[in-house]
Amino acid sequence: MAEQILEALSYPPIQRALLACLLCGASCALLSVFVVLMKMPLIGVSMSHAAFAGAVLGMLLDVNPFLSGLILCLLTAAVLGPLSDRGGIAPENLLGILFSFLLGIAFLGMGILTQTKAGALNLMWGSLLTLSLTDLAVLAIVTAVLAAFVVLFFKEIRAVLFNRRLAASAGVPERMIYYALLFLTGAVVSANLATVGGLLIFALLVQPGAAALQITYNLKSFFWISAATGVLACGLGLAASYIFDIPSGAAVVLTATLLFALAFVFSPKRRSMKGNVLKNDRR
Amino acid sequence: MNREILALCNVAVRKHKALLLSGIDLAVSENEFVGVIGPNGAGKTTLLNVIAGFEKFSGDLFLFGRRQTEKRSRLTRLRVGYVPQMLQVDPAFPISALEAVLTGAVGRAGIFRSPDPDCRREALRLLDMMRLGHLATRPLGHLSGGERQKVSLARAILQKPDLLLMDEPTANLDIAVQKEVLNLIDEIAGREDLTILFVTHDFNLLPARLRRVVMLKNGAKVFDGGIDEALAGETLSRLFDYPLETFERNGRRFVSYG
Repeated sequence: MAEQILEALSYPPIQRALLACLLCGASCALLSVFVVLMKMPLIGVSMSHAAFAGAVLGMLLDVNPFLSGLILCLLTAAVLGPLSDRGGIAPENLLGILFSFLLGIAFLGMGILTQTKAGALNLMWGSLLTLSLTDLAVLAIVTAVLAAFVVLFFKEIRAVLFNRRLAASAGVPERMIYYALLFLTGAVVSANLATVGGLLIFALLVQPGAAALQITYNLKSFFWISAATGVLACGLGLAASYIFDIPSGAAVVLTATLLFALAFVFSPKRRSMKGNVLKNDRR
Repeated sequence: MNREILALCNVAVRKHKALLLSGIDLAVSENEFVGVIGPNGAGKTTLLNVIAGFEKFSGDLFLFGRRQTEKRSRLTRLRVGYVPQMLQVDPAFPISALEAVLTGAVGRAGIFRSPDPDCRREALRLLDMMRLGHLATRPLGHLSGGERQKVSLARAILQKPDLLLMDEPTANLDIAVQKEVLNLIDEIAGREDLTILFVTHDFNLLPARLRRVVMLKNGAKVFDGGIDEALAGETLSRLFDYPLETFERNGRRFVSYG
């Protein structure tokens, strides 16, 4: 089996697929820390549908689907930040409204599209084996920018994740961090449309962070564990897809779910929290 | 004569057609300890939100001699500390008590710079002062409500503000912890060079150092004066539209139903 895998890895499309899959795992997993700790799981769905709707519109207008997907994602981020800050609408409700609106746009575009819909559907499920070098380069750049953002603004990120209002009152540029995060989410989702697709990316934007939440109380470790879970889920998922000849996107998502389940079952935090509740009850 | 730290002139807040604050005039000098008191819905938290820069308003607001809107410079924000009514945190959230205190120093350090190494020592000193030194590495979500409130106080002090805003910091705490937090606030007021605005609706829970009281009712200022006059039964009865009496015990004044 090892020989089979090594032989497969000698083909450039497989090499690109593996690299893209690992970058996808790392970028989505880093974002999932924010998604989980800010309790905004719908942001992934909304952004992925914005990217999907944008890509479909791009196909209709004969524009590069990645570019149009990215533009609609960034527009969604630009609307989402100020509206949730000043519009008096809870971000979860706003995301729900945006999600359904963008889904409507995407399906409308699909209905109007006269050419084959396979290209559009590829953006929904992803297509690892048809990735170009440009797709890979874009994904690598977006992942590097996201990682640099986390490293450079770590102390500000911690303050904002902890409490946005207190961060603002302490002179932290919390709005800048929050908006940058929304734009990065848009960029990561758009860059990953070609890898795992707009539908399955949601799982990778939640599960690695949710797994890390079961394991650590340290934010630095949280980022590392989440990133490792994302990369592992993508690597193992891709290997399983090759070995068992099953769809790669589904294999990646199911592996991520399995890793989350393991973290949940063996969670040291859940045990310590139970103990803490008992202690507080006795106080 | 002490310098004026805060001045409000005809400040009003309107939200969804309701007038939450109207015609508020207030001047607070350096190192004053002022209580903002009033029944529920009087506009106390709204007033604090206006001063903290969380709320849009009309009228004039001056902080440290400069006119302000709700949009503030980083330097102005750094000079105004804020302690919320309750520091809510998910029990699983990855932050320790010490790290939570240290978030108070993030803005002062500035972007791309690590906080001063002395900051950590100062944060630990503050946790010791709050009798929480032994819980410094404990996840914040594992601390009790009172312990979290003390962490919140330490966080605000680490910010080194000139003006500290406290929004009912003893609400939702049990009676012994309320007293402990009040004593700490008195200790801070005595030791740190601070001007404090302390919001509460409970007259029996006032810090001993508090000397001036501003009373709000239906969004308007109805009293501004010394604590003895404020705690006279007649003033309170008018404020709450309910007969209240005050009595003294061990040199402290308490309020009871009339």
